[in-house]
Amino acid sequence: MNNIKGIEQKILYKIYKIEVKKTIGQIVSEFTLIILIALSSVFIFSVIVEILNEQASFDLFDFFRDDFDTIRESLLNNSLLFVQELPLPLIYILIGLLLVLIWLLFILFINFNKIKNKLVSFYKFWLK
Amino acid sequence: MAGISDKDIIKKIKNGEIDQYSYIVKKYTTLIYRFIKRKLFKKEETDDLVQNVFISFYKAIEKFDEKRPVKPYIFQIVQNELKMYYRSNKKLVSLDENIYLEDDRLQDIVNDDYLNHLSQEERNIFQQINKGYSYQEIAKQLKKPLNTIKSIVRRARGKLKIDR
Repeated sequence: MNNIKGIEQKILYKIYKIEVKKTIGQIVSEFTLIILIALSSVFIFSVIVEILNEQASFDLFDFFRDDFDTIRESLLNNSLLFVQELPLPLIYILIGLLLVLIWLLFILFINFNKIKNKLVSFYKFWLK
Repeated sequence: MAGISDKDIIKKIKNGEIDQYSYIVKKYTTLIYRFIKRKLFKKEETDDLVQNVFISFYKAIEKFDEKRPVKPYIFQIVQNELKMYYRSNKKLVSLDENIYLEDDRLQDIVNDDYLNHLSQEERNIFQQINKGYSYQEIAKQLKKPLNTIKSIVRRARGKLKIDR
C-alpha cells in the first residue's frame, strides 16, 4: 500500500513539474510577444507621426479653427488629401501588428481563468 | 470527492485545476498497478510503467473527450506502454525458444514474430484479445458468431502450443 502511495506521489510530482514548465513557458512567451508587439506598434506610430509632421500634413486640419461653413466644405477634400499623404506601408504594418496584438490579448483573456487555476494549483501543491 | 464523476474531474482539469488529477491517480493507480504487475512481475519496471501511463494520460487530457469513459482509455495507454516495453525488450526472447503459455496469460502474446506463425485472421483476433476485448466484442466487430471466434482461438492456441 505504501508502494502505491509512493507511486501516486511520484506521478503527481512529475505532472506538476511538467505543468509548471509548460505554464511558465506559456506565460513568458505570451507576455514577451505582447510587450514586443506593443512596443513595435508604439515605435511605428511615432515614426508615422514624425513623417506627417515633417510633411506638415497636420496643417490640412487647420480649417477646424474656421467657421462651420468652411469646415463643411473642406472636411472631405482635406481628409482625402491627408489619407493620400499617409505613409501607407507603415500604416499596413501598424494595422497588422495591432491585429496580432488584439488576437494575443483575446487568447490571454480566454485562457486567463485556466492560467489562474493552474497557478492556484501550483501554490497548493508546493505549499503542502 | 465521492459523487463527482470522472467527466466533471476531466472538465476541471481542462480548466486548469490540475490538483483534481490526484483523484484520477488515486482512483486508478491500484488497478493499473496490479494489471501491469501481473504482466511484468518486476517491481521497478511496473512502477515506471504505471508512472508513464498516468503521465501519458495527463498529456492527452487536453484532447480527451470527457464524454468518453476514462477507464478504457487508460487501459488503451497501458496496452501501448506494454507493447513499447515488450518491443524494447524483444531481443531477450529467442525466436526458437519453445514457449508454453498458460491459459490465463493468452493476452501476453504480443511478440510479433511469434504471431507470424498464425494466419492473418488469427493474428487479428489475438491482437484484439491483447487490446483487452472480450470474445463477444471481437465476434461483434468481425461480424462472426461467437463460437467461430472461440474455435479460431482454439486452433491458434494449438499452433502456438498453448495447452488448454
